[in-house]
Amino acid sequence: MNKKTVIEIWVGVFMALGLVALFFLAMQVSNLGTAYTGKTFDVNARFDNIGGLKVKAPVTIAGVEVGRVTGIRYDAEDFRAVVVMGIQEQYLGRIPEDSFAKILTAGLLGEQYIGLDPGGSLDTLANGSEIAVTQSALVLEEVVGQFIFGKAKEGT
Amino acid sequence: MSEAESNNPTPPLVRIRGLRFRRGSRWIFDGVDLDIPRGKVTAIMGPSGTGKTTLLKLIGGQLRPDEGSIEVDGENVHALKTPELYRLRMRMGMLFQSGALLTDISVFDNVAFPLREHTRLTESMIRKLVLLKLEAVGLRGARDLMPSELSGGMARRVALARAIALDPMMIMYDEPFTGQDPISMGALVQLIRMLNDAARISSVVVSHDVAETLRIADQVYVISDGKVVESGSPAQLRESGGDWTRQFIQGLPDGPVPFHYPAAPLREDILEVSS
Amino acid sequence: MIGHLAKLGGWGLQALTRLGRAHLLLLPMMRGLLDILRRPRLLLDQVFSVGVLTILIIAVAGLFVGMVLGLQGYYILSRFGGETALGLMVAASLVRELGPVLTALLFAGRAGSALTAEIGLMKATEQLSGLEMMAVNPEHRVLAPRFFAGFLSVPLLAALFSMLGVIGGWMVGGGMLGVDQGAFWNGMQNGIDFREDVINGVIKSVVFGFVCTWIAIFQGYDCVPTSEGVSRATTRTVVHSSLAVLGLDFVLTALMFS
Repeated sequence: MNKKTVIEIWVGVFMALGLVALFFLAMQVSNLGTAYTGKTFDVNARFDNIGGLKVKAPVTIAGVEVGRVTGIRYDAEDFRAVVVMGIQEQYLGRIPEDSFAKILTAGLLGEQYIGLDPGGSLDTLANGSEIAVTQSALVLEEVVGQFIFGKAKEGT
Repeated sequence: MSEAESNNPTPPLVRIRGLRFRRGSRWIFDGVDLDIPRGKVTAIMGPSGTGKTTLLKLIGGQLRPDEGSIEVDGENVHALKTPELYRLRMRMGMLFQSGALLTDISVFDNVAFPLREHTRLTESMIRKLVLLKLEAVGLRGARDLMPSELSGGMARRVALARAIALDPMMIMYDEPFTGQDPISMGALVQLIRMLNDAARISSVVVSHDVAETLRIADQVYVISDGKVVESGSPAQLRESGGDWTRQFIQGLPDGPVPFHYPAAPLREDILEVSS
Repeated sequence: MIGHLAKLGGWGLQALTRLGRAHLLLLPMMRGLLDILRRPRLLLDQVFSVGVLTILIIAVAGLFVGMVLGLQGYYILSRFGGETALGLMVAASLVRELGPVLTALLFAGRAGSALTAEIGLMKATEQLSGLEMMAVNPEHRVLAPRFFAGFLSVPLLAALFSMLGVIGGWMVGGGMLGVDQGAFWNGMQNGIDFREDVINGVIKSVVFGFVCTWIAIFQGYDCVPTSEGVSRATTRTVVHSSLAVLGLDFVLTALMFS
């Protein structure tokens, strides 16, 4: 095996290693392996306070991801936040219309996400539907304020 | 020069007229006229630093003159477009002072380099040519050595084999005799003469080694301070009356080129220090 | 006083002319791509000398950096019960920043300085002149293959660095410190976005590769052709490349991750 072939082999090994590393980063490290790339339908929900909810936050039912937050905007007429959720297509016609949307926090330090509690209605969410009943995020200052206020009241 | 032209009815290979070239604020060449005749060994001599290597680079088109013209084989070097300049360079061979071999490939590959780059000959054809060129310089047996394994003289001979690989019409030698032992010197001198006569390659030798150069040259130009100071055959130069030429040829330490670097008189300097 | 100002002005002008020359070198090097396509052997040899020979230092460095990240990250996160975020922390640090930046710095030190020295030496021994006189364009033949080799190699090396770093972090976190395997990888996968993190990291390393190789080649090509000149050029390569990488990293990060 002469010098030229050795060089060729090593360069081939190098390129292969590099591509393997890129593949590893794509599949094992990032969300490419697990991300949903199919079609979604839009569902709206209005909240008094979205807290720290961000676009791309997961939307879950019973803890399982069924979609992602695709848009957040403020409605100046309503004085509430409008959150647009992209729900996976397979759930079209499968989520009751009177489901309840809550903003929850993952773990203690975690990011905020939307959890849907299914209702009992036979009508289901379709593209463009709006969820009627929502619960806003817990804002820490308000909870503490309430606690202090409550304690103060008790004292008198 | 009328002398050269009357001796040689065919047009000169290289014709330089009114050459002026400056580096920084110094004029390296200040109005130089030169003719390099075909088929002969022309020597360009002068003290170190007069820009002899620069002249070769100007002829080869690597540098551009500030004024004047250089014609090689009837073509104005600096008016050529790049592809044409490259074609002209293929007909000129250059032997650099250090050989300038490519250090990462073998002797054989170095000599084969111009053939592989510029011709479409098959490998077996190239092999034959390379071996012949190496044979001409006496280094056919060294073909598998690397440049780092060669002595200075051998490296120069390999570089010469490489310079003649494409059978050029002229070869320029940049200080070929510098730092050589007498035996390598003799070999090189013989090669230059042989290539010139047998292969009809015109030779331009740039050197400050008086003895060897005068032995081999047909025509000599002496350059100093950016101008041609003397020209003629070696015999004419030896009998020349010019003070400068005599100092140069006889190797006198003092004369028109002074021994002492300009300074204040000795008495002043010494008395200053002690007082 | 005036003398110092004049010197500063002179130095500034010199720097500008150098910058100009560096840019003038770019176009001929790019045109050398044609030569490379005709003779791929040139590129191959250079990818070996510039890329393959740098694998070892990149791999070892990546592994160690990942392991340190795992250790340090664990100690900090465990203070407020966030050990499960270790995978995300290690991966994000590597893929977004440390992978591209450290790879570029190591590349500049190992391969960049070697390139500068090699080209500077070729200039000093008149090999570049010799090539010109043999009607071979040195920018196409010598500089362009080295440029494209570096440009190609750095992103691959950066990916290798990041991969080994993540593995190193995993070895330390999972093996040594007892972080839950599932939490490690899941937290990572949920948090690292392919487009925003991985692709941006690759873009960074491509830019860094371009700049570091360009600087290394230019310094060699432009140096004073003496042994002192070559050694100074080599130092300049490492210093300029490092500063350029760090500066560009700031600009790119601000653009990408704001």
